[in-house]
Amino acid sequence: MARLELDDVTKVFDTSAETIVAVEELNLDIKDGEFIVVVGPSGCGKSTTLRMIAGLETVTDGEIRLGDERINEKSPKDRDIAMVFQSYALYPHKTVRENMAYGLHLSTDLDGEEISRRVQEAAEMMGIEDLLDKKPSSLSGGQQQRVATGRAIVREPSLFLFDEPLSNLDAKLRKHMRTELSRIHAEVGITTVYVTHDQEEAMTMADRIVILDQGMLQQIGEPKEVYHEPVNRFVANFIGSPSMNFVDVELERNSDGSGTLVGEDFSYEVSSRLLQPLDPGTTEVEFGIRPENVTIDPDAPTEKSIETTVDVVEIVGSDNFIYLDLAGEEFRVRTPSEIEPSEGETVRLTFDEDDVHLFDSVSGEALVHGLPGADVSATAEQSDTTAD
Amino acid sequence: MLNDNKRSRALLYAGIVAFALFAVVPYYWVIRTSFLTNIAAISPDTGFIPALGKLTLESYTQIWDRFAFVTFFRNSVIVSVAATVISLFFAIPGAYAFARLDFPGRKALFYTAVFTIMFPWIVLTIPVYEVFYFLDLVNTIVGVIVALSIFVLPQNIWLLQGFFRQGIPENIEEAALIDGHNELTAFLRIVLPLSWPAVAAAALFAFLTAWNNFLWVFVLTTDEEVRTATVAIYYILGSDVLREWNVLMASLVLLVAPPVIFYGLSRRYVGEGLGGTPG
Repeated sequence: MARLELDDVTKVFDTSAETIVAVEELNLDIKDGEFIVVVGPSGCGKSTTLRMIAGLETVTDGEIRLGDERINEKSPKDRDIAMVFQSYALYPHKTVRENMAYGLHLSTDLDGEEISRRVQEAAEMMGIEDLLDKKPSSLSGGQQQRVATGRAIVREPSLFLFDEPLSNLDAKLRKHMRTELSRIHAEVGITTVYVTHDQEEAMTMADRIVILDQGMLQQIGEPKEVYHEPVNRFVANFIGSPSMNFVDVELERNSDGSGTLVGEDFSYEVSSRLLQPLDPGTTEVEFGIRPENVTIDPDAPTEKSIETTVDVVEIVGSDNFIYLDLAGEEFRVRTPSEIEPSEGETVRLTFDEDDVHLFDSVSGEALVHGLPGADVSATAEQSDTTAD
Repeated sequence: MLNDNKRSRALLYAGIVAFALFAVVPYYWVIRTSFLTNIAAISPDTGFIPALGKLTLESYTQIWDRFAFVTFFRNSVIVSVAATVISLFFAIPGAYAFARLDFPGRKALFYTAVFTIMFPWIVLTIPVYEVFYFLDLVNTIVGVIVALSIFVLPQNIWLLQGFFRQGIPENIEEAALIDGHNELTAFLRIVLPLSWPAVAAAALFAFLTAWNNFLWVFVLTTDEEVRTATVAIYYILGSDVLREWNVLMASLVLLVAPPVIFYGLSRRYVGEGLGGTPG
């Protein structure tokens, strides 16, 4: 168990054809025992970061420290890590038992008895005792995943690395394994870095989420924090499903400090409290609102609502996803299942000022959140159950 | 009345049978002729399927008595096996490097290696002879082994690098690195055992290529003691004014038998090796 620090870590792939900066000056400080999920779209540098920590890629610049010791130059086997790959990477010519024991045989001087005791223990933890004498090719995807995780656990390393370990499983099994992995982490308490492209996995499993885009750190924070206070438009868009609505609006200010957000087809009055942190010269902003914060209310006051036409209604059972047309742009609303407007119908949408986010329309930086730093546990629960 | 589906199936099978016969008949003819006497072999009365009484082992015993076929076969086996082993010894690490490592000139080197497979070797016979003469390797078994090893090396590299590239996931090697191997031991202990089918396939092709090689052995040897069976057949063919077809065909059967047996033994692995799936 150990603390993991990344200090200005940079990775540049220098091929003859082009130079790609995969990771740029990444700084992370991961506490002992923490479960960190690194999330981002494909090509954001998350896997490269993980592979640098594992020692499978060299570090172009910067320093990686594990337990206060620089590990940049150490070979993977000397780093005291275990890794679970997306493809599981089990040795096809070895049985499950041999797969799990192999690392211990190679890198420790434990005797055979101790090794088989630890393999047995890890197998019990993963529920794969009856698979120990089988070859990987005769196992299902879910079983292979368990074996791969078991192979990592048995090592009792300082650091677990997971590279999209659940991506090859079907949706139901993925959710089950998600819970399972969280349980195991709670049980063994080993520092974990988990890479995924799935924001839902990140939200449900992480102690803290690291969001990367184009090799650069966007935000690091607890799931609730990145959900409620995204630092920029990218994070706001990436976290949450369906993703946040963004509308370009003009800001008209009144003398008392309050103002109006004026869009193409609507205007929405906001109080001075929301606008107070803004630079007085700001006139154009991008306003963001999450689909789950919008309600359909025919009686809502005009100055606090938007009128649009329903395009598509998606019924998922627990909720309805309603896609509306707002000045040619798609606007998403998530409603309880009993609210089911017909397609083509004009509806009135409203939302609370506390749920509004304003972003700089040029840089995408978050300017103000409706409810900064408030207790937001109730709504965070809801986001955890967001559909795939 | 046949329906369309059945009729097209019948036509398909008829076509397959026709092509199969077309392909098989020459082989049948070789075997048939090898079991006849010299006269029966060229007599039109013998027929396509000769009477049982006309069959004889005479041509095979003649080969045994008249030619040093034991020497030729021993030479063939020695040079083919040696060339297979030596070329694999260099091709396995070479192919692995081409498949996995990124080093300057990798592409140029690889295409040079592959290009030599397509190269008309006959163009090279004189320079090759010069080089081997200079090295004092002409008319020696060692010289033939060296020549054939070089000859089969490119195809081995080409076959194996494709397998390493597609058949062995890089993640497995990476898992081995994390489990406690270094690059070399990961290759020897994890990659190589998994590559067994591909190595067997490459070995088979190397053996066949070396066994069947005529040109280089013909150019590099003159003495009977170092002659291989493939080249020996040429001397049988060219040695008589009145050609003894039965003897020629019998020696052909003998020549083809070892590769066929070798293939039969390794067939189980070869399919897997070419399919590109490990273990």
